[in-house]
Amino acid sequence: MLRGADIVLQCLRAEGVDLVFGYPGGAIMPLYDALDGSGVRHILTRHEQGAVFAAEGYARVTGKVGVAMATSGPGATNLVTGIADAKMDSVPLVCITGQVRSPLIGTDAFQETDVFGLTLSLTKWSRLVRTIEEIPAVIAEGFHWARSGRPGPVMLDIPTDILKAKMEFAGPLKFTPHPTPADVHGESTFGETLIALLEQAKKPVALVGAGAKLSGAVPDLRRLLDHLQIPTFATVHGLGAVPSDAPYYLGMVGMHGTRAANMALHETDLLLVFGARLDDRVTGDPARFAPHARIVHFEIDPAQLDRVRPCELPVIGDLAETIPACHGALRHVSLPDWGGWRAVACGPERAELDPRGLAQPTIRFLDELFGRLPKNSVILADVGQHQMWAAQRYRSSCPRGFITSGGLGAMGFALPGAIGVQLAKPDTTVLCVSGDGGFQMNIQELATVRRLGLPIKMVIVDNKYLGMVRQWQQLFYQRNYAETDLSDNPDFVEIAKAYKICGQHLGEDVMREFPIAAATADVLERFLQSPEPELLVFDTHPEANVFPMVPAGASLSEMLLEEE
Amino acid sequence: MHVFHVRYRNTQGTLMRILNAVSRRGIDLPYVQAEPAEHKHRVTLLLDVNPKQIGQLYRDWHAVVDVVDVRAGAPSKEMMDLTAAWAAVPHPPASASTGDSARAAMA
Repeated sequence: MLRGADIVLQCLRAEGVDLVFGYPGGAIMPLYDALDGSGVRHILTRHEQGAVFAAEGYARVTGKVGVAMATSGPGATNLVTGIADAKMDSVPLVCITGQVRSPLIGTDAFQETDVFGLTLSLTKWSRLVRTIEEIPAVIAEGFHWARSGRPGPVMLDIPTDILKAKMEFAGPLKFTPHPTPADVHGESTFGETLIALLEQAKKPVALVGAGAKLSGAVPDLRRLLDHLQIPTFATVHGLGAVPSDAPYYLGMVGMHGTRAANMALHETDLLLVFGARLDDRVTGDPARFAPHARIVHFEIDPAQLDRVRPCELPVIGDLAETIPACHGALRHVSLPDWGGWRAVACGPERAELDPRGLAQPTIRFLDELFGRLPKNSVILADVGQHQMWAAQRYRSSCPRGFITSGGLGAMGFALPGAIGVQLAKPDTTVLCVSGDGGFQMNIQELATVRRLGLPIKMVIVDNKYLGMVRQWQQLFYQRNYAETDLSDNPDFVEIAKAYKICGQHLGEDVMREFPIAAATADVLERFLQSPEPELLVFDTHPEANVFPMVPAGASLSEMLLEEE
Repeated sequence: MHVFHVRYRNTQGTLMRILNAVSRRGIDLPYVQAEPAEHKHRVTLLLDVNPKQIGQLYRDWHAVVDVVDVRAGAPSKEMMDLTAAWAAVPHPPASASTGDSARAAMA
């Protein structure tokens, strides 16, 4: 006879789980009681939100399912932001929460929350477990849905009496999904239509999103793009899918994308989309998005099609299958010569940043830092100005090398996310770039970093403001800096010291020297090469802005390139 | 007005996910009927939606794990009558007990 809690852990092991992140509490105590000797390592964070973000970091860098655990009530509600984040960014995640005893459900018992109901609109699949006998099937099905198709979050809510109950356990189960109707677009059909569209196109472009990476289609995509040689750009989650030195690559597109990418997207007459949702940060004003373009959309999730406007050719399916099929269809076809268009779109007159922008100290700081990172390092960016600067300056071709909360834009993601990444990749350099606002949202996870001795390299770009909000206030709210002033920030180095983590300040003036001084270079080198966790606080100008910028509701062709 | 029939396996939360695809867009639900249908379940919804919303709802419903099939149809007279009748009823229904205390209890 095994307890429900033991069965849960055995089923997790059967799904390949050896690491979970969580925070204990009353209703989930039986599961914690069973952890010892289960083969599942538990990482204690200092807040449930830290746990779910760490599980996301683990999942995002490995492609495996991340697992977070919490108790009922506030423990469960503290997971909600991470669940929403995983939904938006297609992260395979399973959250397990304890629930009050079955007879108490619905009575407003102590620490009772309807987390099943709360998360219905955020999860891909969820279950409130009603009997111990259901556990093996529920876990098998939950993991299936978390990792299948467009990956996403799954919530399993288990009452504490079921975790404590006992039964004879025959072993973990495998889940077999119900058959689904076949894709309406056969391979040959879309191939012929695509060829016809390409033959008519004079200014084709490719837009690469996260889907290309999640499906493992990056090598196939690179071969296809090398064949097509058309101007190509990426969403923030598509960064790294295309080598930044490819002659046809224009960098990031969208609200803070490069001028070249946004102009090419505005001018194109044929847009090939590979695994991207086309959200408002990519499209700008939907009514004026790629106004001359026909759209071919490669996508695994049919729910993402036609959100902006109808596409000419939807290609529904796993990109690992549809991209090679596309390449196969095009391989022996004589395509038009798009050299003239490519020369214009990728030409020097559309340089990615204003030269004065490159001299901006934070950008120089990130360039100096990124340039010293070992190959295959992983950068986590929090949310805000530093996130966009980091995305603009990211140059690696490591597909899972740039991780951020892109869809939800959840401040506080980066530090706990970096914990998950570093645990998954213990020999990899993990650089966590945060702002002073976001870092304080999960600053308690410094304790987790210290306890585990994780050599995460933490950077705070400290402008003593909620910088991105302040930028919008400056540009669109007549400089009414309402409640964005953080000039009374604590000394982050002293806080790190309290957690027994070394830290130091670096003023932005050192980044005004060309080249930077040897002493500054030495600081950066020692910071990155330390075997210990390290904090570097980059004190920067409070009113530096991120450019280019497409104002909300404007067309991509209406970029602000610098201060008016 | 458009009528949609969504067939689904009646697993935990599936009906709520179907309804949530509507409510998250701020679309009113004047008529909903859920019932067993052959070996599955079916929910019928009467919605005032534009063509773009129809496409989005179709795809969102199909993305729900246990949704089997989505079909559209024309509203029946019975549906429209029921919807109109419901709209004419005072809402919430008046209490049989007197005045303020009943209203306070329902607040």
